[in-house]
Amino acid sequence: MHSKIKALIFGLGCLLLCCALGCNRPRTSTAVAAFYYWKTTFHLDKGQDTLLKKVAGNRLYLRFFDVVWDEQSQQAVPNAIVGIKENMKSLKVCPVVYLTNKTFEHTPLAKTDSLAFKVNELVRKLAAANQISYENVQLDCDWSLGTKESYFSFLKAFKKYSGKKLEATIRLHQVKYFARTGVPPVDRGLLMFYNMGKILPDLKAPNSIYNAADAAKYLNYLKNYILPLDVALPVFSWSLQIRSGKVIQVYAQIDRKELSDHSRFVHTGTKNVYQAIRSFYMDGIYIKRGDYFKFEEISPLTLDNAAKQLSTHLAPLEKRNIIYYELSTIHLPEFQEKDFQEVSAHF
Amino acid sequence: MTTALTGGLVWACADGDYDDSQYSNFSPEAFVDPQYSPFFYASSVSYYGNVNDDSNTRYNELVVKEWETHLKGKVSSKDLEVLLFKASDKGLDSVYKYSKGKLAVRPAGLPDVKSFQLSSKELDTFLSYLLLAKSCESFAVQKRTYYWDEKKPAPTGVPTELGERLLQEYQSTKDIFMKQRFWFQLVRYYYFQELAAAGPEQQGNGRLVSFFEQSRNLFPKNLMYYRALSYLAGHYYQQKDYATANYLYSLSYDFSADMKIPSKWSFHPQNESDWEKSLKLAKNNEEKITLWHMLGISNDPERAIDKIYALNPKSEKLDLLLSRLINGSEDPGDRYFTDTSSFAATERKRMDHNAELVGRIARNNNTAKPYFWNLGAGYLNTLSGHYALARTFYNKAKTQLPKNDKLLSAQYKILDWTLFLSQLKKIDAQTEKEMVGPINWLADLRDGKDTISNLRFNRAVAKSVETLSALYKKQGNLLKSNCFSSNTAFYTTNQNVEALKALLSKPGKTAFELAMLRYYPLKMEDLYYHQALMLVYKEKIDEAVPLMEKAGQKATFNLLGNPFTIHIYDCHDCDFAAPQKKKYTPLTFLKTMQSIKAEIAAGKNVFNNAYLLANAYYNITHYGNARLFYQNEITGTDATQPTDIPKEFRLTFTSGKLAEKYYLLARANASTKDQKARCTYMASKCERNEIYNSIYFSKANEKKYYWEEFSMIPSGKYFAELKRDYSQTQYYKEVLNECGYFRKYAGK
Repeated sequence: MHSKIKALIFGLGCLLLCCALGCNRPRTSTAVAAFYYWKTTFHLDKGQDTLLKKVAGNRLYLRFFDVVWDEQSQQAVPNAIVGIKENMKSLKVCPVVYLTNKTFEHTPLAKTDSLAFKVNELVRKLAAANQISYENVQLDCDWSLGTKESYFSFLKAFKKYSGKKLEATIRLHQVKYFARTGVPPVDRGLLMFYNMGKILPDLKAPNSIYNAADAAKYLNYLKNYILPLDVALPVFSWSLQIRSGKVIQVYAQIDRKELSDHSRFVHTGTKNVYQAIRSFYMDGIYIKRGDYFKFEEISPLTLDNAAKQLSTHLAPLEKRNIIYYELSTIHLPEFQEKDFQEVSAHF
Repeated sequence: MTTALTGGLVWACADGDYDDSQYSNFSPEAFVDPQYSPFFYASSVSYYGNVNDDSNTRYNELVVKEWETHLKGKVSSKDLEVLLFKASDKGLDSVYKYSKGKLAVRPAGLPDVKSFQLSSKELDTFLSYLLLAKSCESFAVQKRTYYWDEKKPAPTGVPTELGERLLQEYQSTKDIFMKQRFWFQLVRYYYFQELAAAGPEQQGNGRLVSFFEQSRNLFPKNLMYYRALSYLAGHYYQQKDYATANYLYSLSYDFSADMKIPSKWSFHPQNESDWEKSLKLAKNNEEKITLWHMLGISNDPERAIDKIYALNPKSEKLDLLLSRLINGSEDPGDRYFTDTSSFAATERKRMDHNAELVGRIARNNNTAKPYFWNLGAGYLNTLSGHYALARTFYNKAKTQLPKNDKLLSAQYKILDWTLFLSQLKKIDAQTEKEMVGPINWLADLRDGKDTISNLRFNRAVAKSVETLSALYKKQGNLLKSNCFSSNTAFYTTNQNVEALKALLSKPGKTAFELAMLRYYPLKMEDLYYHQALMLVYKEKIDEAVPLMEKAGQKATFNLLGNPFTIHIYDCHDCDFAAPQKKKYTPLTFLKTMQSIKAEIAAGKNVFNNAYLLANAYYNITHYGNARLFYQNEITGTDATQPTDIPKEFRLTFTSGKLAEKYYLLARANASTKDQKARCTYMASKCERNEIYNSIYFSKANEKKYYWEEFSMIPSGKYFAELKRDYSQTQYYKEVLNECGYFRKYAGK
């Protein structure tokens, strides 16, 4: 509460100052940009490296590993541990661990403590092996009513073992229904402001990554959320492959460029929807005549709109982290440094 | 319309696995060589049936057999299995030392190699090879899972020294069996050596290709050869030469049944250009056919069928693809059509195209199994709605079916019957006569009275029930319609229930009626129980009792709690666990209600009796402790929320009006203020439940999963009365103590 008031006073002061100077912005943004990196091998090309440095001051939320439930051995195991081939010394890394909800469906309360111990140990070892020093850890789990208890108990134990500041990812529905879904016992929340719509084989359904109408259903609940919220924003696009009324697969690697090949696809009457006119292999994907491809795009403009829409509904927070998802899949010529700077400035 | 009874229409099985035979009418086993069975269409798993998908053990059995033959049966297969696959490298080392006399004691749990009828040279060759092969497992046998305690999940290196020894042995060995084994080990060694190299350029400099090419013709083209060939394929895959990799995988696929799974798993054309190159690598039509066949299993059966048929109409590699095409077309999946115009049109085009393709081939009549193509064309045309055309294909198939094949002739019958149903417009007496045989047969299959291995019939059962029920309904015969598919709404009219009872008890039923009733799941007792139940909620207890008596065993199970008891706080589990001097069954419960009602009518002990009756009426609602009283096959057995109750009975089983009425009667006859307070509070619970009902049943809430209204305290006139008139009573204190809602309300 105290910090909120302070932020408000700071904001007002700034407003007066800015107005005096004839500036449009109500206050100077103190937001801090960062990038996610989610692939299994950490390797940056030149463009990504520059972007990370210039936009985010080398702040990186790096997925260390997943925790999944292994049916065969009937235990939670780490999976897809990140392989790091770069020198990490110059980077400010926050380790991220993704835990499947299924893990907690199978992990009884009594075992959450030992799981937390193991996860913390692995984070520690991976960090040490790559000379990463870190102050925060982010845990990512789409928990449900049934797993709330064991996930939260895991988080408490993790805090105990790590002694670090913890951040947990928060989905929009978890903000709206926090009374039921609970608020995780961590220092900060990271609001995932994407994947808000359902992935449907409906050609006319709005963009499932971000659309203003779906977002609006949740925004009024943000102000009252108990945790300070950082924000994750989408910088990815993908295409849904739809066949016989079913979504067959979602592909990040197929975008407008591929779909605009007139020898293979026609544009249907519906915006961003294409249909295959032949059957063929393309980069390892088999496409059948008649398949629909629905391209769901986040352009710099959409991203800016999303940020504008969200920023007005958040409770004030100094130095809010704005994390862009994610570095390895950004379409580089399309997204420029200044795009990110403008978007971050909304917060 | 809510259907509490689902008959044969459930398509997923209870344990959560998805059973593809549930929606299918077409048994691939009837047509396709069993060696292809892992690739029969399966909607949710990689392989059909029970398949060994463990790459580390896949060839064990064959390898044992090869050694057994090579050693001329002098070592038992059991001992071979232990030495080849179970012994650790330390264990093998001890065995070797023991065989050389360097270890006096035989290693525990391992075979006594000295007792083998092998010459010392033979034994030495065998054990030396084993030791070397075992060392190679360190890099060649992959573990798949990461574990917490592993320091680094990096691949183990490939020791240089091991390669030198393998090469030495390979060069010096004369015996072709042994030589080929060292050759295989070397090929595999080179593969992993390349894989462990730093980058793709260095990988390309490996020795694998040159070694393989210069030595490939020294050995028979057996399993070992094709396993080695698959490593060569893997090399090309790593080099991104997908054309060569996929071509080589197709050769391994074709070699044997055991090699099919890993070869198919590895087969991944990337672009049309490399795919076309693979086809060009094929040395003859048969090799081309295998490539197309693999494309067909992986991605596109119709495209593959078209190509293979052009190359060789009699190819047995067509069979699997046709079965996959058919089973895939049957799969209802989780289709979701909102944009009906474009989806439905595209889908129809696809179905028509496939029916046309298979029909064209069937008409040409030049395949290896013409009946398969005719049945397939008939069925695909049935699925596409071209019934008359479908019939012509079936007629042709009938004349071509091999004699004395039980599965095939049953398959024909299933398809023929399904088409009959699809074409059926009206049911008259003659039709009923004709249907007796088929519907009895399907019921026999369903009940396990007739079993035909691998026959799929569930779709036919479901289709029968659905079609006949709908047709009878359309013809206005609700009774027969309900016999095929029992429907909740039917039971809301007593006349319907009476008609059903008359049919069930009719002497001398026709053959059709007998067959039809095999699809009706309920008994006379269920119907009596239902009639009694409905009367109870109409307060006609006297009329209900004799009907309940006829419900037999249905009415004699024990209710879990005492249905005449009530508390400030509803806790069903507490009521179930509480000691109960008398257990009530539905029948004894009703009879007790009857005598209580009689006493009230006679003016006896009215407060007490009205209070008990009110409790009983409360408890036989959704909110009370006796849900089992009203939950059955007709009214639904699995409702945990009021909205789960079939809507025909929702109000009946949730309304608190009857209970409220009797609580008020009790209050009017109460002698103390405390008693009045008690009745008022109980009436408030009925009032609260009505508020809940209005939230549950509100139209606006239908699509929400979280209802904010529930966070408000439901209060009404009885809370007000309780606070205003009874705040001085002892009972009021108890309510304050136990009921949080009221405490908050009163504290305002």
